[in-house]
Amino acid sequence: MPDAFEELQEVTVLACRACGALDPGPRELCTRCGSTDLESKRVAGTGTLVSSTMIRRPAAAFRGEGAFEVCVVDLDAGPRITGRLMPDGTRGRGTTEPDNVEPGQRVTLTGQRGEILYFAGNQDE
Amino acid sequence: MRRVFVAGIGSTAFGRHSGTDIEALAIKAGDAAIRESGVSRKEVGALYLGNFVAGPLVGQEVLAGLVADGLGLGQIPCTKVEGACASGGIAFRHASLAISTGACDVAIAVGVEKMTGADTPTVTAALNCAMDNRADGVSGLTFPGLFGLVWKLHAARYGTTRSDVSSVVRKNKANGLRNPLAQMAAHIDDEAILNSALICDPLRLFDCCPVSDGAAAVLLVSEEVARACSTPMVEVAASVQTRGSARIAGHPDLCSFDATVAAAHAAYDMAGLSPSDIDFVELHDCFSIAEIVDSEDLGVVPRGQGGIWAREGRTRIGGDVPINPSGGLLAKGHPVGATGIGQIYETVLQLRGAHPNQVKDAAIGLTHNLGGTGVACTVNILRRSDA
Repeated sequence: MPDAFEELQEVTVLACRACGALDPGPRELCTRCGSTDLESKRVAGTGTLVSSTMIRRPAAAFRGEGAFEVCVVDLDAGPRITGRLMPDGTRGRGTTEPDNVEPGQRVTLTGQRGEILYFAGNQDE
Repeated sequence: MRRVFVAGIGSTAFGRHSGTDIEALAIKAGDAAIRESGVSRKEVGALYLGNFVAGPLVGQEVLAGLVADGLGLGQIPCTKVEGACASGGIAFRHASLAISTGACDVAIAVGVEKMTGADTPTVTAALNCAMDNRADGVSGLTFPGLFGLVWKLHAARYGTTRSDVSSVVRKNKANGLRNPLAQMAAHIDDEAILNSALICDPLRLFDCCPVSDGAAAVLLVSEEVARACSTPMVEVAASVQTRGSARIAGHPDLCSFDATVAAAHAAYDMAGLSPSDIDFVELHDCFSIAEIVDSEDLGVVPRGQGGIWAREGRTRIGGDVPINPSGGLLAKGHPVGATGIGQIYETVLQLRGAHPNQVKDAAIGLTHNLGGTGVACTVNILRRSDA
């Protein structure tokens, strides 16, 4: 059974209690100051698309999903994070048409399936 | 630090070697390098072997010791190094260090990989070991996917077109036609590239290097030993290894690999040279767009103009800076652990004036080998000793 899709507005990242640095994780220690005192912190799921690509030949573990679009997002809170773009609702999962979000456009977290974060382009842009 | 010279080179063809064991490939290349140098094999003081996935793909480890045994070397330190696609370059740099630091007077670097015997899902799974699987693997990203991300951003920022990138594919595939070691050389046109399957938008099949078997070796020696060898003297003017982010999201700029930029700067400093002194480059074109980004990161092409330079033919043989006259990974092939040493092999032939696709008056060459998601990089500068 595939994991259920859970709607979310915030991304959970790691915050260093010593220096305040944020990191998408997982990490054993803060790579800025070396502190091991890290805590989970929720930040806004809003950001800017750095880039994206439609993976049409997935690795074996993902093959059952058909094509999917991986993205890199700069969160407004600071961390750069890897996730996926939501397949267009009218095309559903397994679409082979890339989303029309371009680098530099605003995106927002829609939710999470398993460990994978999903983003979508903002409607008004 | 002592000066380091290349006394001998050897290589198998890159491609499919279905009837040959991985050790046999490595020993063939290593033996050719030793024989060519005329150095006694008992004088070899260290062996470094670059390999990435012999464990999962052919079920053989301890390759460094196995290959030294097969070559008839002494009871010397034999070390396997791994840095994904940069494994070969890392082996070369360690052999170079063994000479420059005075640890020994003769050292051999051998790179080898055997990949074509495994089915595609097995190869893909093995290659994905080069990703930070706790961070990037989760999203389902692949290596072609990384370069799809890079391409899309390069296109958005600099206006790089499909046709610009196709210029790289056409050039390297055509360069490979003159290289007897090349696996996938071809005369192809833009239409054929456009008609090949989409892998990760906008990257198509012909933008990707093939899966390959092969081995290459280089024998490095001190100045004193080099002077007694009959092979033309080629000096290692710089050999640099750097680390970049292990995670895609850790790269400050997806249109650049900071490990390459840092390695190139350090290599130019070490050699006392600047990018304009470089006569030709063998760089890590695992995907077509990678050549464009690498050429900018190495400083041989202005930032953002990699696509334009490719389109205008300025990176062809006879152009401002010939890139991948061997055919590169796209045409020559990419037996992962052998690739970085294969680049040295091609560069030494150019500097000896003996390459089948010779760059006129080649005196100084640069090689660039990039591993994983840019987590490991080596840049080497080689020069003719009269240059």
